[in-house]
Amino acid sequence: MHLKLFVLSASSVMLWLVPLAALDKTLEIHKALQGLSLTAAIACAVTAGNIAREQAEQNEIEEIKTRAITADVVDEIATSAYISQQQRQQEAEAILTSPVEDVEEARQALEAIYSNDSEETEVTTLATTNEPTALDKSLYAEICKSREVGKSSTWIIENILKMKGRKFAEGKEKLQTLLNKFDGEGKR
Amino acid sequence: MRAMYLANYFVAGCIAFSLLGWVASLHPHAFRAVLCLLAATAIIWCLSWLLDFSLSSALKISVRDLQAYLIAAGAMFLVGLGVYLCT
Repeated sequence: MHLKLFVLSASSVMLWLVPLAALDKTLEIHKALQGLSLTAAIACAVTAGNIAREQAEQNEIEEIKTRAITADVVDEIATSAYISQQQRQQEAEAILTSPVEDVEEARQALEAIYSNDSEETEVTTLATTNEPTALDKSLYAEICKSREVGKSSTWIIENILKMKGRKFAEGKEKLQTLLNKFDGEGKR
Repeated sequence: MRAMYLANYFVAGCIAFSLLGWVASLHPHAFRAVLCLLAATAIIWCLSWLLDFSLSSALKISVRDLQAYLIAAGAMFLVGLGVYLCT
């Protein structure tokens, strides 16, 4: 389209100037040719102008589209930011206005979780006593099952006795104690 | 692209005035007719300058646009006839 536009523009100027400059105005044939070329030049110039105008209008539409899309994106971002801010504000207000009972419930729930953990640790410590308790038996049963499955001593210490990291050596001793205690009883 | 289409229309106007000159050179009667046409055009052009505000409201265009059209028409006349007479 651009090539056509440039060709038409250039040909209109050429058809306008060249015959007027090159041909003789006194000869009838030359005069007729000048008239024809001027008419053709007008046609070329008008056609080129129309094409260029269409292109310009299309470009304007594209620019408007681009601007509209940009505005949409900006608006969307602003809206999402506003919504998230409102949500956070509502959550904060809900926390601030929540009754004391809820806080108390949450505290109790946390205490319950904490006490469960402490019981778990106590279980491991109780396993060291001489008399085998129900917990010791259940632990030993789990250890036996794990061994049958093919789990290693490390895995048993870490996952059944729950003694990882610094307590690993202690856990190893406890495992040995449990095994000695129940294996010894089995032999008896 | 906007400049391109404006330039093309301007060139078309210039060529039209050259064609008018060519028509005027064909016969003495044609010359007189073209002269009358140009005189009428010149009168309208001058009146448009004088009545630019009322004309702009009637044509529903801004005064600046109307003045631009009038200047462009004058330039087309000068360039078109100038090119025809000088070649």
